[in-house]
Amino acid sequence: MGRYVLRRVLQGILTLFLVIFLLHLLTTFAIQLNGNPALAFFGDRVPTQAQLSAVSARFGLDDPCYNQLGNPCFGPFVNRLKDYLSGDFGTNLRGREITSIVATAAPNSFRLFLVVTATWLVVGMFLGSTAARRRGKVVDHGIRGFSVMIDALPVFVMLLVYRYVITVPVYTWAKKQFGSDSFIALLFKPSFDSDHPMITVIIPGILLGLAGSAAFIRLVRAAQLENYNSDHVRAARSKGLSERHVRVFHIVRNSSIPVATAVGIVFTEALAGAVITEGVMNIYGMGGLLWNAVRDSDVSLIIGIVTLLAIVTIVVMILVDLLYAALDPRIRYE
Amino acid sequence: MTDLVVEFSTADGVVRAVDGLTYSVDAGRTLAIVGESGSGKSVSSLAVMGLLQSPPARIAGGSIRFNGTELLTMSRKQHRAYCGEHIGMVFQDALAALNPVYTVGWQLTEALRARHGFSRRQARTRAIELLDMVKVPAARQRVSEYPHQFSGGMRQRVMIAMALAMDPEVLIADEPTTALDVTVQAQIMTLLAEIQAERQMGLILITHDLGVVATVADQVTVMYAGRAVEQAPVLEAYGSPAHPYTKALLQSIPRLDRKGGELEVIPGRPPDLLAVPAGCPFHPRCERAEDVCRTGAPPPVVELPGGRSAACHFAQEVMTDA
Ligand SMILES: Nc1ncnc2c1ncn2[C@@H]1O[C@H](COP(=O)(O)OP(=O)(O)OP(=O)(O)O)[C@@H](O)[C@H]1O
Ligand code: SF4
Ligand SMILES: [Mg+2]
Repeated sequence: MGRYVLRRVLQGILTLFLVIFLLHLLTTFAIQLNGNPALAFFGDRVPTQAQLSAVSARFGLDDPCYNQLGNPCFGPFVNRLKDYLSGDFGTNLRGREITSIVATAAPNSFRLFLVVTATWLVVGMFLGSTAARRRGKVVDHGIRGFSVMIDALPVFVMLLVYRYVITVPVYTWAKKQFGSDSFIALLFKPSFDSDHPMITVIIPGILLGLAGSAAFIRLVRAAQLENYNSDHVRAARSKGLSERHVRVFHIVRNSSIPVATAVGIVFTEALAGAVITEGVMNIYGMGGLLWNAVRDSDVSLIIGIVTLLAIVTIVVMILVDLLYAALDPRIRYE
Repeated sequence: MTDLVVEFSTADGVVRAVDGLTYSVDAGRTLAIVGESGSGKSVSSLAVMGLLQSPPARIAGGSIRFNGTELLTMSRKQHRAYCGEHIGMVFQDALAALNPVYTVGWQLTEALRARHGFSRRQARTRAIELLDMVKVPAARQRVSEYPHQFSGGMRQRVMIAMALAMDPEVLIADEPTTALDVTVQAQIMTLLAEIQAERQMGLILITHDLGVVATVADQVTVMYAGRAVEQAPVLEAYGSPAHPYTKALLQSIPRLDRKGGELEVIPGRPPDLLAVPAGCPFHPRCERAEDVCRTGAPPPVVELPGGRSAACHFAQEVMTDA
């Protein structure tokens, strides 16, 4: 088990390194093709050569390799790694520490994630189990239809409809009825409110969670169905155990193994969905930040955020693997 | 079991997997049920345990009584709970029938904890006792291991121990050794026979292996297309089979004392249960078939001397021929 964990962690670190390197290559080529992003620092003003090189130096863009198309710029890459290792993630184009930007944005994303994950876990487990238990019945068909429908409806359409069609009348009504700081009003507020970061993130989170739950419902259903007719479940029934006991200890428990592997996949999907959700709902989170950073060619910020997201993803993947091993003794004792 | 009928509704129509099966087993006795694949051996034992999935399965008639208690009128819940207490079942493929995510000890005593309020410590003691009973070495350590850490033979022993956990009066073993290699098969059969003798349980042994039947069973029921075609004490059945199918089965056993001789194979295949032949279901493959066998109802069960019976128009003649 110890060796298994160690191996997974080392793999994670290697993956992280590759992600950062790939990101470096992409931004390097972007700079080489599009010109010096330090220009963005000056907005509409035209800087003197001296000003430009001063700013370039500050953002580590003064290396001549950035002017040679195709040069992978190993020098700046090594410097960046060194800075990262010493905890220095640099500043954005406006001179703000990236760590401090992330520190304000990340908690909002985290709140969104919390709601998203809770939603798809609860909805997926509940509907998936129900469909499996009532396989072939109306309820089962209904749930499967529902999951296909969700899949057919892109997240951003759902969000746009919600924001522009539903929230406005509900919010107006709730404001009139209960006051603008009431729970209901805030819940349906059309955009994010940094004074109430949790409440205003609930419904967008639920919508995003629903989107993620579609595949999860089907997976839970399939995994449980496989167990319903399996030999070990029949053997458990032959011991005279109640159907409920069999369901909990043999069907749900055993189907949790394939389900656990899917957690990682659904998680990364939710991550991508979060960028869109944060954009549409004006949530000041990592996704929104990344969106703006790309628009502004803010190289340090882009790399900083993506690195952080990569770290989070890799940690989640490792946790999923450990969970998998914890759930399945055949892996634990390999 | 009296006149049990089990039907499955399938996309192509209703399949009668068990068609009027009657048998009984006494305490301390062994009944062997033999027959080709698909003859309804497993389905009938699952019906006893209340383990058939319905739909598609439906018990269309008959009765199953245990010490006078009718099982088929019980609710499914009562039925399973009742069998959990009185009848143990050993499944064919122990690897598949044991749950991979729980320790062997946990599974052995699951019902004792869930239904009889055993504490963890009591359960552990009992689990070790059960493993000792089926002669798993180092039971004390092995209770906390998982099924995949056991060899095939050991796993089947665990399976048997699991069936014995509630001290059942009857044990149903559905091909308990087919998944094992030959030397282990013999050990498992010996173990089953010993345990059965020691506890004076009734044992229903479902098997393909007629050699095994001869050594351990008292009584044999030969099944064909969902029916019992012959029922007899083992020695009599082997000495003078009263049904052509039994005879053919016996001739298809490889025997050391007939080395070099041709091994006879029963020609043809078991009937498609959606289109069972009219008359005697066995007639297309029967070397004795006559016109009377090809039409009308299946041959009635003929009672023969010595508490035997066979479902063949010529049972008497077949028996005396041999
Ligand atoms: N779920 C099912 N749906 C439809 N038909 C079934 C189903 N289960 C069993 N049957 C039918 O019941 C018949 C008897 O099956 P059963 O498993 O009892 O055979 P068996 O005698 O145990 O054979 P084997 O020696 O291969 O174990 C099969 O031929 C099949 O047609
Ligand atoms: S009834 Fe006829 S076909 Fe059937 S087993 Fe007897 S002899 Fe053969
Ligand atoms: Mg079978």
